[in-house]
Amino acid sequence: MAGTGLTINRPGASNSGILSSLEPDQLTGAKRERLPRRRLKNSEVLLLWGVRVYLLVMMGVVVYQLWTGSR
Amino acid sequence: MNRTQENSSVITADALPASSGAAPVITHEDLERAEDRSKVAAARAQTGLSSRFRLLWLLIGPGILVMLGENDGPSMLSYAATGAHYGVGFFIPFIILTFAMAIVVQEMTVRLGAATHRGHAELIFSRFGPFWGWFSMIDLAFGNFLTLIAEFIAIRAGLSYFGVPPWVAIPGAVLVLFLALLSHRYWTWERLTLAFAAVNLVFVPLALLAHPDWNAVGRSLVTWGPLPGGMTSAALLLILSNTGATVTPWMVFFQQSATVDKGLTRRDVRFGRIDTFLGAALAAGAAVGMVLLTSPLMKLHMSVENFQAAEFAKALQPVIGRSGAALFSLGMIEAGIVAAITISASTAYAFGEVARKPHSLNLRMKEGRSFYAVLCFCVIAAAAVVLIPGLPLVYVVLMVNVVAVVAMPPALLFLYMLANDREIMGDMVSPRWVNVLAGSVVILLIGAGLLFGVSVLAPNVFASWVQP
Repeated sequence: MAGTGLTINRPGASNSGILSSLEPDQLTGAKRERLPRRRLKNSEVLLLWGVRVYLLVMMGVVVYQLWTGSR
Repeated sequence: MNRTQENSSVITADALPASSGAAPVITHEDLERAEDRSKVAAARAQTGLSSRFRLLWLLIGPGILVMLGENDGPSMLSYAATGAHYGVGFFIPFIILTFAMAIVVQEMTVRLGAATHRGHAELIFSRFGPFWGWFSMIDLAFGNFLTLIAEFIAIRAGLSYFGVPPWVAIPGAVLVLFLALLSHRYWTWERLTLAFAAVNLVFVPLALLAHPDWNAVGRSLVTWGPLPGGMTSAALLLILSNTGATVTPWMVFFQQSATVDKGLTRRDVRFGRIDTFLGAALAAGAAVGMVLLTSPLMKLHMSVENFQAAEFAKALQPVIGRSGAALFSLGMIEAGIVAAITISASTAYAFGEVARKPHSLNLRMKEGRSFYAVLCFCVIAAAAVVLIPGLPLVYVVLMVNVVAVVAMPPALLFLYMLANDREIMGDMVSPRWVNVLAGSVVILLIGAGLLFGVSVLAPNVFASWVQP
């Protein structure tokens, strides 16, 4: 993974002990790729837009309260 | 990522862009984690009761830390005020119920971490896109920063009982937090933090010193009463705030990231559940202990709303003696320190997961520069804020609750959706009965949090709703 600077590439039998303790997808190298995007159903898309609206409204309310509270 | 091959709809390593086919690159993080996992494998290979206990010892950690971390400074003060106001009654079974709800929510993070080996922020980014990934991380970081300030306030207040001035208390607490990081081993960090967290249980023997009426405790568990004064708006507010604060965003992010960093796999989920249950039981015990401890103050009709740790300790001296009051203050200091350790770690994990930087407590400093930089920055910045003279810290604590209310609904919804994401969870997806239970808890927590938010942000509106 980017930034480690210290990777050990030891092909061969010496890896077997390490690899036997970890599942393949536990290795940091195996997690370089992100999992693919989820295919959202229409109801899920609607739900996430609802969350966006909720967040906008709540942010507005909080900012308003902070502004009136500071006056 | 699920490795079950028989389920063709599950995303496996084959479905991702092909690697070069070369030998896997092993990092120091992998080596450290493999060393821990080899001990688990060795314990699992043995038979007998002692090996089962050893296996349990090796696999517990994230659940206990998250639950005892949730018994942070502000929470323990809230329990103390609850006991002083309402005594032994309604709030004892209510507190136990809130921890039961926390188990339902946190169990999903164990399954997610063990099945996918990815942190919560990373899963949100991957499955729902960069907008939600970055939003979740920034939202978490902001809320965590405010909470860290509240923890340092609690630490300062606890140490003030011993006459330690803030300019010594705060840097001292920061030093303790950093000491836990020096080992660059997740296992060592976890065990040190567990040792700190064990101090939270001091409120149990302190409660015994207060000689509670055990008949009244038993009656309260059965009858959920009494509730002195009835269901007033103040009592309702306390119920809403405690319900809404049952699970906070950092708990969800931390337990999943810690589960991944610890290296738990699908075979370990049962122990992860035991770990979560054990953590909730211990934390509920400490919380109920605090209520029992301060319940004698109810007869004195003290106004405890603005009490900090030192004021409670002094008020409790006639009940539990000077040594007991000193232990009380130590417990409050611990509450702040453990929460600060786990909360700052959750921010650093989430940043690394979203920004694609190395993120593990197994990393050495030069390997995890950004991870440790974020962690240290959060701690130092929050500590510095507390030392600013004249800062309205009560306002900051109020903002913590407000931010938690805003952040909780999206966090819980994503958790629920991810735990039901068959493509990544495979056969570990939530069964129907868990979905019904978890869905009910999620709706209840979101509703209570929103109502509490209304009461804080628009008190007149809330008052018009609750008045008959």
